[in-house]
Amino acid sequence: MRSVWAVFGLLAWVGGGLIVPPPVRAHEAASLEEEFVKGVFSPAFTPPAAGSYELPAVKRVPGVILKDLTGRSASTRQVTAGKVAVVSFIYTACPERLGCPLASLALQDLQAKLKEEGLGRHAILLSISFDPERDTPAQLAKYARIYGADPKLWRFMTASSERVLDHALEGYGQDRAPVYDERGRFTGRYRHVLKVFLLDPAGYIRNVYSAGFLVPDLVLNDIKTILGEGAPREVVER
Amino acid sequence: MHSGDMRARLLRVLLAGILVMMGGLVGSAAADETCQSPFLPKVTGQEDYIYVWTLGIKGVADGNDSMVTVDANPKSASYGKIIHRASVPGRHEAHHAGFTDDRRFLWAGGLDTSQIFIFDVGSNPAQPRLVKKISTFVKDTGGLVGPHTFYALPGRMLISALSNAQDSSGRTGLAEYSNDGKFIRTIWMPKEAPYGYDVRVNVNLNRMLTSSFSGKKNYMRPFGDLVKDAEAMKQFGSSVIVWDFHARKPLQILSVPGAPLELRWALLPNHHYAFTSTALTGKLVLIHQQADGTWAAKNIADIGDTIPVDISIAPDDSKVYVNTFMDGTLKVYDVSNPFEGKLIETVKLGEMANMVSSSWDGTRIYATNSLLSQWDKPGDYWLKAYAWEGGKLVPKFTTDFNPAGRAHIMNFGSKVFGPKAAAPASPAVRVSAYAAPR
Repeated sequence: MRSVWAVFGLLAWVGGGLIVPPPVRAHEAASLEEEFVKGVFSPAFTPPAAGSYELPAVKRVPGVILKDLTGRSASTRQVTAGKVAVVSFIYTACPERLGCPLASLALQDLQAKLKEEGLGRHAILLSISFDPERDTPAQLAKYARIYGADPKLWRFMTASSERVLDHALEGYGQDRAPVYDERGRFTGRYRHVLKVFLLDPAGYIRNVYSAGFLVPDLVLNDIKTILGEGAPREVVER
Repeated sequence: MHSGDMRARLLRVLLAGILVMMGGLVGSAAADETCQSPFLPKVTGQEDYIYVWTLGIKGVADGNDSMVTVDANPKSASYGKIIHRASVPGRHEAHHAGFTDDRRFLWAGGLDTSQIFIFDVGSNPAQPRLVKKISTFVKDTGGLVGPHTFYALPGRMLISALSNAQDSSGRTGLAEYSNDGKFIRTIWMPKEAPYGYDVRVNVNLNRMLTSSFSGKKNYMRPFGDLVKDAEAMKQFGSSVIVWDFHARKPLQILSVPGAPLELRWALLPNHHYAFTSTALTGKLVLIHQQADGTWAAKNIADIGDTIPVDISIAPDDSKVYVNTFMDGTLKVYDVSNPFEGKLIETVKLGEMANMVSSSWDGTRIYATNSLLSQWDKPGDYWLKAYAWEGGKLVPKFTTDFNPAGRAHIMNFGSKVFGPKAAAPASPAVRVSAYAAPR
């Protein structure tokens, strides 16, 4: 298992290879942060074995037409069809170290595990931006490179408009609220609960992970659980 | 932008993130409103509102159950006053309520009719608005009755029930619904320990606890009658079940006689324990993980024959607050040694004290005084606010609930969770991130 310090090293690498100095008088917060990161990459429990539990469908998500990293339009359903998909909502300017950046590190870890286990053809990671204005395909491509996304396994998409994004957010049940300063000006930041959605090949949400439970080993077992079910479930609108 | 610029920018945002987080944590231990799901963003600073799920009383206002908003911000002109009341049609034995994972909606249940009411609290946090009703809980779940705890899971609501439609006994289970209000699944309690009451998750340990109360034929029966019926008084739960949360499978059934009710996980990351109190035997009980990974229950304080009802935990796990119904008292136990609870403070609240809630920073305590419509003694209904000052709990305000109904569970609201979030920013992400590693 990866040690917490290795993860901090990874964060520092993402930050350009510099070591992030711990702020003074912040030992308590730093210790909590350490515990949090440790909980993701070295959980204090063994995830239950794949196939030993059920993941009942929460709901089916709609396909949404978004832009990929080349700027071409594609339906999210086309991207995820026939595979177990891990769909996250992120934005590249997210200032919360334990929000989007940590989620992307967890997905990076999951990507490596999927490759190790030879599951690359059966699963796909898809990160959708919260910020259609600033997260252009070119900007997302940089973010993808920094996190080492393998284009065959980890895709990034952005919406052509706020309206399209709202449709996607509503379909998944993902909140997002712009944050304003005291003078009512948009700060460029969004308040959102970190959620990562696990979809089966038919497009049903089978699990949702948020901060504290986005554990790559657990997500991997969930993916195997769905793959072990055999034929994709019949599409039934509920 | 060059890749190097991007990395430099990432470094800046990572550093900025750290500063924001440190700023939010200096001077306070990380915790929540201490009783909420770890999957929820928390109100870290001063709460603006307290949402009180209130039992209707015939002849009072419209007589209906309602979600009442009390202004809790000391800087507000209406501090301590009821500022909004959102009625639902009819009376349902209003009891518990809980937010969805994004804190945009507040689900509230009726123990008598098994109706569930969903209020939008995100659009205007001062004025919850009823937007959906689930009337099919019994049918959806295959016979669960009495939706009790509403506990946010990511994208879903986990609901513990108290009873069942077949015989109104305490045999019951858990239900899950999507945030959209669609039924997902029912999980019945194991045969050896069929009762249910509260449900709480520790994400750090992948463990879930459930406690045990009694069925509808007891909780909807007048209290005076019930206590004289020796057979009926045997029909109360006596266990806490430890579950594998992710698999939703029971692992261990702990013997905790006398109806263990509210469950409170310790909040600090390396505190692998929880507390509960037993209504009928008056004990404060520690549920703790042992060195071999299994769990055990230990009585750590004798609260007395006063029916302890709600409990709340301090954000640094140093204290447990216990409200006792029979003598209308708030008792504060020092549990800094979790194996030994020491009574350190007693506050006379008033008749029928029931629910108690601590603020995120541990400095403010709120209490209400209705338990169950058939168990309450007729009297005065209120919400009372206290604050720790100079080592004592000092009264801050009393909200008269007599014009609204019987005040039951409290959930905190904040303008921060409204449509226009204010700086300092992103408490939702920051706090949910910190709330999780418990």
